[in-house]
Amino acid sequence: MKGLTLERRAAAGVREVLAVPVLSVLGGLLLGAIFLRATGHDPVAVYREMVTGTLTTSYGLADTVTTSIPLILAGLAAAVAFRVNLYNIGGEGQIYLGAVAATGATLWVGDTAPAVVQLPVLLVAGAAGGAAWIAVPALLRAWFGTNETITTLMLNLVALYLVQYLILGSHSFWRDPDSPTFPKGKPLPDAARLATFGTTSVHLGLVVALAAVGVVAFVLRKLRLGLDMKIMGDAPDAARYAGIPVRRTMVVVLLASGALAGLAGAVEVGGRTHQLDPNGTAVGFGYTGIIVAALARLSPVGVVVTAVLLGVLENSKSVLQTMSDQVPLAITTMLEGAILIFAIGGEILVRHRIRRRTAPVTPAAQETAVGETAAVETAAEETAR
Amino acid sequence: MNHSVLVSTLAAAVIAGTPLVWASLGALLNERAGVLNLGVEGMMLLGACTAFLASHATGSAVVGLLAGALGGAGLATVHAVSSITLRANQIVSGLALTIFGSGLARYLGKPVEGTTITGKIGDLPVPGLRALPVLGPVLFDQDALVYLSWVACALAAFYLGRTRPGLNLRAVGDSPATADAMGIRVAATRYAHTLAGGALCGVGGAYLVLRVVSSWNQEGTTGGQGWIALALVVFAGWRPLLVIAGAYLFGLALRANFALQGEGVAIPAELLSMLPYLLTIVVLVVLSVTKRDGGAPQSLGRPFVRDER
Repeated sequence: MKGLTLERRAAAGVREVLAVPVLSVLGGLLLGAIFLRATGHDPVAVYREMVTGTLTTSYGLADTVTTSIPLILAGLAAAVAFRVNLYNIGGEGQIYLGAVAATGATLWVGDTAPAVVQLPVLLVAGAAGGAAWIAVPALLRAWFGTNETITTLMLNLVALYLVQYLILGSHSFWRDPDSPTFPKGKPLPDAARLATFGTTSVHLGLVVALAAVGVVAFVLRKLRLGLDMKIMGDAPDAARYAGIPVRRTMVVVLLASGALAGLAGAVEVGGRTHQLDPNGTAVGFGYTGIIVAALARLSPVGVVVTAVLLGVLENSKSVLQTMSDQVPLAITTMLEGAILIFAIGGEILVRHRIRRRTAPVTPAAQETAVGETAAVETAAEETAR
Repeated sequence: MNHSVLVSTLAAAVIAGTPLVWASLGALLNERAGVLNLGVEGMMLLGACTAFLASHATGSAVVGLLAGALGGAGLATVHAVSSITLRANQIVSGLALTIFGSGLARYLGKPVEGTTITGKIGDLPVPGLRALPVLGPVLFDQDALVYLSWVACALAAFYLGRTRPGLNLRAVGDSPATADAMGIRVAATRYAHTLAGGALCGVGGAYLVLRVVSSWNQEGTTGGQGWIALALVVFAGWRPLLVIAGAYLFGLALRANFALQGEGVAIPAELLSMLPYLLTIVVLVVLSVTKRDGGAPQSLGRPFVRDER
């Protein structure tokens, strides 16, 4: 880029912060439209169908909200970890383990226990299951510096096979003995099921998810832990010298991240599938949660908005199925990926301003400028890692 | 287990391991340049799709392979632009690549779902060597892409260890600032190896459809093999020749359950499928506890910004 140079912004304004997600969505939709057009579909009709089917009918809107419940929690899980440059991309596996623990615990408590007992059991077990699944990567990262990206990623696939083993590959405690030919999960006790709002599919998990948003936002803004996280995220080296218990904070943040993902698994089984389902428990939502978090620029409140947006995309699969024009459902996955690519590519524009390279600066002036910006730049790149 | 079952299982492990050799070698080149690309699964799947479509249209396996390489490299370009030029977070960019790539592959592959191709990779036994006991049928009664994968890994090992551009590449991956000061073009080197790596991942995906299965299956063509390939790079300590051994070991884990079931040994398939991932975690743990990097490029995953104003 001859003639153009990037200059760090002191602080990104509201305009830049909002512009990137909005432009990313538009960019993703435009790219999708090009593909749709090139393959003989009418992009306007497809998009209109996706929006009307998921947002304007009460049934569609309810399903969209229901889909966004686990996405809010998975998005929060990614956001809290990413804020301190801990790349927990194991949300997927932690969701599965949350579901395994939540179903296991409520089934073990049994049919006789009332909802007052079962609902806390469902949620606590789910959170504990998710946290347990990240415990090993968290401890390894804090004490030995083991790359948490790879370990959490690997555990996603282990978790996937574990759930398949519990339902399809064995006669485990989780498998329904009354359905020997079609392997499926044992149905959850009625008391452990999350109540729905009226006749819609929206369940109490929404309250759980929004409460989690509130708690995370509170911790980040008001508690010492939140301040420590901010310093660790912005200037990891400074955090050590400031006397922040870096290792302990890392472990706490990662366990919290895993617990949030585990909660997503718990509310999915408690509110929607009502069993441990090897194929239908929020498949891929761990990864979608990362999109949710990135689009929200790791803001817990922003996560709610972007989760609904991704909920629209996820939910429009079922809408597209009913369209006469047979559009491959994968268009929604493509759109999600494209939006994410634009969002992270556009991030540089939030952090930097593009300037036309000006006439040669006097060496002295240049030197001071380099000295100042280089320090900021190093800190920023440190953050970006 | 009798002799013929053992031999056929080992031969199947080689076939199952070959897409992993290609894709891992691609990921290895990416990573040696300091670029972590979690988009391997997406590049493999898109490469599989473009290879299938090209072979479907032309009936030629060679055209299919080229299309697969192009598909992988094309997708890798997106990662190169975002992570090298735009300095985006490489982890998220790579994941985005996997999501977009698998969406695109399924979108493009939808019209040919369930069809089969005739332009496949054929057997190419090596005269003489194929008659060797055990080794013959396992290693030398395979196809051209198996042999070429050994050549590619050997060339990569030579390139990394013995040639000037290869040493420059390692400098870029370990210490881009030093490389830059030495006059090596960091961004160009990273671009070149990200694209080359993408092409190799595409070949890995292409091999899956042109050799292993000859139909296009929307959901299960790669089935997470891109993640195994990424694991394999760590497992092999970023060394090309060890990639081959690791790939066949992981290939055996993918195929062993069939043989074991035949022998009446019931190890659940799901537990065997976990093995590559668990082994990789164990390797990572051992490396970090013993404070060794295991050959990991020092600047893996870090964008490089030259302090120029």
